[in-house]
Amino acid sequence: MTEQISALLDDEFALEDAEHLMAGMQTNGYSSEVWSQYHLIGDVMRGANALSPNFKQNLMALIDLEPTVLSPNAAWANDPKLFDEKDESNDVAVKKQATNFPRIWSVAASCAAVMVVGWMVLQNQVGNQATPNMVAHAAIPQETVLLPVTNEQDVPVEYLMAHQASAPSASSYYIQSASYTE
Amino acid sequence: MRGFVLACLVASGLSGACQSVLAAADDEKWQILQKAALAAHALSYQGIFVCQSGQQSKSVQIKHFFDGQNEYARNVLLDGSPREVLSQGGDLIIYNPKNEKIVIEKRRGQNMFPAVLPVNLSIVKQSYTLRTGDIERVAGREAQILFLVPKDNLRYSYRFWIDTEYGLILKSVMFNGRNEMMDSISFTQVNLVNSVDLDWFKPQIDNKKNYVMEDEVPTQADFNPSPHWMLKDLPAGYYKVDQMLRVVQGKPLPVTHVVFSDGLASVSLFIEPVTNGIKPRSGHSVVGNTSFYSSVVGYLQVTVLGEVPEATVAAIANSVVFVK
Repeated sequence: MTEQISALLDDEFALEDAEHLMAGMQTNGYSSEVWSQYHLIGDVMRGANALSPNFKQNLMALIDLEPTVLSPNAAWANDPKLFDEKDESNDVAVKKQATNFPRIWSVAASCAAVMVVGWMVLQNQVGNQATPNMVAHAAIPQETVLLPVTNEQDVPVEYLMAHQASAPSASSYYIQSASYTE
Repeated sequence: MRGFVLACLVASGLSGACQSVLAAADDEKWQILQKAALAAHALSYQGIFVCQSGQQSKSVQIKHFFDGQNEYARNVLLDGSPREVLSQGGDLIIYNPKNEKIVIEKRRGQNMFPAVLPVNLSIVKQSYTLRTGDIERVAGREAQILFLVPKDNLRYSYRFWIDTEYGLILKSVMFNGRNEMMDSISFTQVNLVNSVDLDWFKPQIDNKKNYVMEDEVPTQADFNPSPHWMLKDLPAGYYKVDQMLRVVQGKPLPVTHVVFSDGLASVSLFIEPVTNGIKPRSGHSVVGNTSFYSSVVGYLQVTVLGEVPEATVAAIANSVVFVK
């Protein structure tokens, strides 16, 4: 099964025969994981970076640049009870706690944000499997064989009507295709 | 030596002058066409024209009125079923008799004769050259012939007869590469009108028939940021002018519909996933003035059609690249 998934990935497996693989990947968690992993391996081998180099450092630097709004702290500072303590040392301790506690949370929030963003990018990557840029390299074989000539009765009338509804030619307002039935 | 330099200067001056004269003549031709593009919207006129396409031919009565701000037009088919097209600005309402009913269809209107040219001709200039022909009489009026000749084989050629006084297009004919007429629309009688009343701007109501709105043909904006296809190397001169999701008769899911235009001709591209159990369609044909091309790209069924040469629909179909 994994071999077939690999072959499918490399366009060495006929799409018509791949239905069981598709079904397998939809129901079987392991198969879909293999599919994702092979894509990830492919991406790495092609050097298509999901994230820019130093993504984490850049993101952290940007987060550092952001002004940190510590609203809970402000609320705390405005709460007179905390600072009405007679004991000097206790006051300092409370202040320290008041400033430290939210900072920990902000770090945790930043980490969570990094994880969420990273996860989304990764999901997107796995979901799309290929960026347009890579497709140009992957060069999916296009139909080059001469297509058969279609008979007049085989012409897709429903599409002709859709075409004339959105992009009418000057005569299509008055003359309808012979195959169009009123 | 001085004589040689002088001769060179004179020669270059002359050739420059020749070029500018040629350019001026070219500009003049395009100006006639530009005037025709505007005249169709900005004049008030009425008449009868005959529309011919393939084996069919229909006469249409037209009345067009411009009050300085808004355009109103009523077109009534005189042959066959009495279909009526009422337009106000770009909004069309078509009263289409079908069996015992009259179906009311709403559309966005464009290039209705004689307003077949876009008001902005710069896109047309990219792909066509313009030649002047003889003066001929059409619908009892004197007309200047203009040939709009494509620069490549990706589009048909057009011939316009333009009223030398009003500037209105009196006749428009499309030819294929073998110079065979693909379709033709021509006034048989036309005159300008001065009246300002709008009493005529209403459909002729048939009390014996039921009037029904057509079954909704919903189109919606197509916002999918990462569809499983992309367009690569579109044929020269064709630009995407619209993209939507459209419900197509007999299709379980909405189909992506992309419209391309070179300023005169329009091409539609339809993309949908290959459906299980339905044999994918692939082939090409020309019926009347419309070329069709179907192919399968990856998991996608691609259908392209338009009033253009087969090479163009094939090129647009082949510009679709499947993205996994």
